[in-house]
Amino acid sequence: MQAVVTGATGFLGRRLVQSLCDDGCAVRCLVRPSSDLSALRRDLAPHWSRIDVRRVPLDNRDACRDELNRGDILFHLAAGLTGSASTLFLNTVIPTRALLSAAADAEVGRVVLVSSLGVYGTSQLGRGDTLTEETPLESQPQLRDPYTFSKVVQESVAAETREQRGLPLVVIRPGVIFGPGRGVLSSRVGLQLGNILVRMGGTQTLPYTYVDNCASAIRQAGFAQGIEGQALNVIDDDLPTAAQLLRRLARRKQKPRTVWVPGACIGPLSGLYEWYHRYSKGQVPGVITRYRSSALWKPLKYSNARAKQHLGWTPTISFHEAFERATSENGQNRR
Amino acid sequence: MQPLQQPLRIALIGCGQIADAHLQEIAKLRCARAVAVCDLHRDLAYQAGARFGIEAIYNDHRRMLQEVRPDIVHVTTPAHTHHRLAVELLQHGCHTYVEKPLALNAGEVGEIIAAANASGRMVCVGHDQLFDPAWLECRHRIDSGEIGAVRHVESVLGYPLSGQFGALASSDPGHWVRRLPGGLFHNTISHPLYRITELLPDAEPQIDARWFARNNADFPSDLRVELQGGAVTGSLLFDTAIEPQRITRVYGTQGCLTVDLDAQTVERRRAPKLPGAFGRLETPWRNWRQSARCLRRNVGRFLRSDLHYFAGMRGLIEAFCNAIQAGGPPPIAYTEMRRVTHLMDRIFAEMQPLGVQPVGVQPSGCRTALDSRPPTAVSTT
Repeated sequence: MQAVVTGATGFLGRRLVQSLCDDGCAVRCLVRPSSDLSALRRDLAPHWSRIDVRRVPLDNRDACRDELNRGDILFHLAAGLTGSASTLFLNTVIPTRALLSAAADAEVGRVVLVSSLGVYGTSQLGRGDTLTEETPLESQPQLRDPYTFSKVVQESVAAETREQRGLPLVVIRPGVIFGPGRGVLSSRVGLQLGNILVRMGGTQTLPYTYVDNCASAIRQAGFAQGIEGQALNVIDDDLPTAAQLLRRLARRKQKPRTVWVPGACIGPLSGLYEWYHRYSKGQVPGVITRYRSSALWKPLKYSNARAKQHLGWTPTISFHEAFERATSENGQNRR
Repeated sequence: MQPLQQPLRIALIGCGQIADAHLQEIAKLRCARAVAVCDLHRDLAYQAGARFGIEAIYNDHRRMLQEVRPDIVHVTTPAHTHHRLAVELLQHGCHTYVEKPLALNAGEVGEIIAAANASGRMVCVGHDQLFDPAWLECRHRIDSGEIGAVRHVESVLGYPLSGQFGALASSDPGHWVRRLPGGLFHNTISHPLYRITELLPDAEPQIDARWFARNNADFPSDLRVELQGGAVTGSLLFDTAIEPQRITRVYGTQGCLTVDLDAQTVERRRAPKLPGAFGRLETPWRNWRQSARCLRRNVGRFLRSDLHYFAGMRGLIEAFCNAIQAGGPPPIAYTEMRRVTHLMDRIFAEMQPLGVQPVGVQPSGCRTALDSRPPTAVSTT
């Protein structure tokens, strides 16, 4: 069975290819013409001769079609992570539209789209509510950050292709992916301002997933039976709160300098910032709004029950072990 | 009392990164409002429309023109599409604002201006830094004779390739910007160049232009240009290894003004009046006072919410709208559009690899390192 992977040169993609190779799958990687293959080549050195790497402009439907065959399992991970909304749409939404159309043309066996846990309309949830696959998707994605906006639209493009073309689609929505080389701090903990971390609240549970656990879930999504049409949240067990994570980092003497914004102050301060952004006609960037703060830093619970049930998956690496690996000297330095 | 004029209706073609700046600045104007956006990729038009509250989104600009009938169209597409779109829009009866560079060569610019004259519509090129508050202050101080007669202009653009657009262009050999006649420079040197030509009266200065590739780039990445006019000279530095910066130094017979568009400061340097060692004290004292004055001014502007990166763009769009409504001259003179493009043509034609002795005009100076085929794909990003 042929596995086809986009985004194979990325942080998660390399682990997925590794996992597929370990399982003995034939893997074809579709990489953009501009992609740097050095990290993939380094990480996959033992398997390199068995990996078929094709440089393909992913926004070109015909070029993608040429690389796909009937029955292939397509893992679509390629996406932009940073930049303006237009850049992210160019790197995420437009390639997805072309690639999934090509996948439907080719009648692939399954498409696993790697989306994000950020696509949910969490600002509509109450404090302490549980976020599950039943939680409605973000209805006003343009009010969120550009990355979330692009991922919500990417999912809608995939859903549209599934409805119109019968694409055998499975959507995986990972939480924040961490691991060696990427560290454990994210915007879910706070905002990085130069060398200072503005810590937002602290009681919010961090919806994290260790890169190997996540890659394992994605691999399972390619092969598990009868899950077409499902969307599954992938997060680890025993998730820490932001405060607990920072305490762990402090014990390892890796905690950055922080300024604390208490949870009760996040809303009013965000509102104040948003007001000044508008009042000053954009003299400060509109990166913080009440809506975004509410979506990002509200204390919620997270469930991975459905992923466990449908994929037969469990996060085999505990958070404790994952944290150790991600923050060890070797892990920090590994890029 | 004159009747209040209706805001002009602006449509925008090309919803890439710079389109955000246009839509953001248009939203601040009373004289105009954005009514439609268009991109070949409907998804790109959608994201721009959704974020800026514009309901009319299109992926066919002709349909947009028919249905929306805008007064002005902003063209923020890749440079190689500017000429075709601008001529079409002007012939359709729309005033047209085109991002820099206006077109790929002086011949195309001539055709755009001819189309504007024939249609009775106005065209404007995005030389927005000429309307930046710091540049306007510098011009005012030069015009008031503060530094005497201008003798040399030094214009610096720091453009690290690690930036969003730079990274995209440098990592993709097929990127449209790499296939322009002047490569990356074609899309970037307008700004530092027109900050020189604004003060360089000569139509045909002598040019010495040298390029080189930094950090193993597989294309010309850095450029040095010397311009020599009758009384004024200029030097342009486009560098990918220095911090992002937009700095111009104007040297006159009685001092020098340094304009930093990012810091929004204008500072004067001049020879000390005091003799010997006292002069060594006078200069830092003057510099300290200058910096204190700049700080005071910027604090005041901050409190008035007047520190904006694209303030020049807002000023130029507003001036363009006012010119349209008043029937006045365009804010950027057509002669200046021709002159800047003509100088860019000459720079790209005459530039040589650094370290090679000039042997006269070599039209292939840039193209030896670039694919000289004209770009054909019309992507609007």
